[in-house]
Amino acid sequence: MRIEELVDRIYSIFKEYGVSRKEIMDRLKLLIYEFKVPENEAYTTVVNYLLKEYKIPKYEVLAPLTKIAEIGSSGRVSVKVKVIQLWEPVSPSISQTGLIGDETGVIRFLIWAKAGKPEVQENKSYVFRNVVVDEFAGMKRLNVTRFSEIEEISEDVKVAEVPAKVYGEVEFIGSLVAIHQNSGLIQRCSQCNRIAKGGNCIVHGKVKTVDDLRIRGVVDNGIENYEILMGEEVIKKLVGIDLETAKKIAQENLERKAVLDELKKKLLGKYLKIVGFLGVRFFRVTYAEFYKPNIKEEVEKILEELK
Amino acid sequence: MKREVARRVFAKELNNSTHVIRSGGEKAPVYLLTPLGLRCNRVFVVGALLEKEETKPESGIWRIRVSDPTGSFVGYIGKFQPEALEMLLDIDYPSIVSLTAKVKVLEGIKKKFVILRPEMINTADPDVRDRWIIEAAKCTIERIKDVELGKTEDAKIAKEIYKTDLEDYKRTVKDVLMKLKEEFELLEEVEEEELELEIEEEEFDIKDLFE
Repeated sequence: MRIEELVDRIYSIFKEYGVSRKEIMDRLKLLIYEFKVPENEAYTTVVNYLLKEYKIPKYEVLAPLTKIAEIGSSGRVSVKVKVIQLWEPVSPSISQTGLIGDETGVIRFLIWAKAGKPEVQENKSYVFRNVVVDEFAGMKRLNVTRFSEIEEISEDVKVAEVPAKVYGEVEFIGSLVAIHQNSGLIQRCSQCNRIAKGGNCIVHGKVKTVDDLRIRGVVDNGIENYEILMGEEVIKKLVGIDLETAKKIAQENLERKAVLDELKKKLLGKYLKIVGFLGVRFFRVTYAEFYKPNIKEEVEKILEELK
Repeated sequence: MKREVARRVFAKELNNSTHVIRSGGEKAPVYLLTPLGLRCNRVFVVGALLEKEETKPESGIWRIRVSDPTGSFVGYIGKFQPEALEMLLDIDYPSIVSLTAKVKVLEGIKKKFVILRPEMINTADPDVRDRWIIEAAKCTIERIKDVELGKTEDAKIAKEIYKTDLEDYKRTVKDVLMKLKEEFELLEEVEEEELELEIEEEEFDIKDLFE
């Protein structure tokens, strides 16, 4: 690489801090020509020197404030965002996970438990500094590590209108081949939102609980399958049972399990078209309907192919 | 560990299977290799529940027979499948059911039997059944092609072990689909007749009765 190119690269990072091209050029020349330092070493050395000299916080340069639409597929960035949705963490190594957005788009994020950060809340705005971009299951994600910073801000960040088909949403058709036990009318810990079976949270012990309606199950098309999570809204639209109805069913039958039995009867083995987000372990369903194909047409199509 | 996919396979193909693949460790899943080269550990079936009986009185083990257009699956549900058992007891027969099951092979003295261990069973309707038949037909056609072309390792092994008669399976799939098509055409005729009947009734004026 020509030395001018290195100068350009460094200058583009530091031009807003009053660093001159000449200063960069002089330092690079000294390292490369006088001390015979390899180019990449010289580059890093000059960048680090300028950061220190001009007292610039490292993340501002290495993780520049970026609009979500402009985030690449790797590297470090900082973003000014609003938390749109929080999802239930699937592993103790994850503190929080969900969806954040700014006026240009939305992206998934994940705060690792080891990062030791205070929890963020839905609908509040934050600056996430020095977060690592990676891709999971073909979708971009921002990772908050212990080197990152989260700062709550009073500014209300405008979020791009979340369209019916949100970023990263996928559609899948298959049969609901299983509904897991911890589905139906469940109890959540009022402190951490984890499932608290019989009023016992695995983290907080005996706690006050909040009722919730959900389904954890498996949708399978014979070739691949997904572990799915369905919340109250989706269940209500699909089978007409909401949290209030579920509570009534439980009261009438004197047990919570009656809700699960009812959902099983209505849904197990049925073909569903589901739309939602593909996460680490779960397909989070945002919309579901009973799938009713035109059987006659399909039969004729296959028969035609068989000829 | 990734959950095993619930395969779509007609009774004929499954019941003709004898070759078991044990892939290593004690906890590793056991697969049944079908004559069309499907490596199968779990299935999803929709069909007619024809029989449901306790193997011995008070044994708590129920034997079921579920039929698809090509043959029937035999399944056993006992206390180790409490969820399936609870649901089964509520289901009358004959009726259309859907079920998810683990596939097991019983080795008799002379013969091997393929049986199902249902994990869940629920009532279904004709639409769900027809949709299942289409899925199973599509999957079977894909497998026939794979064996024909020796596309996968499993397809090659299956062909060698079973000396699979592909034409026979092709005929079966075609028959199943033709039957489904005929049913639809019949259904349309019936609907048309009903429509005509309604029209006739409408033309019939109630005043005529009193004249």
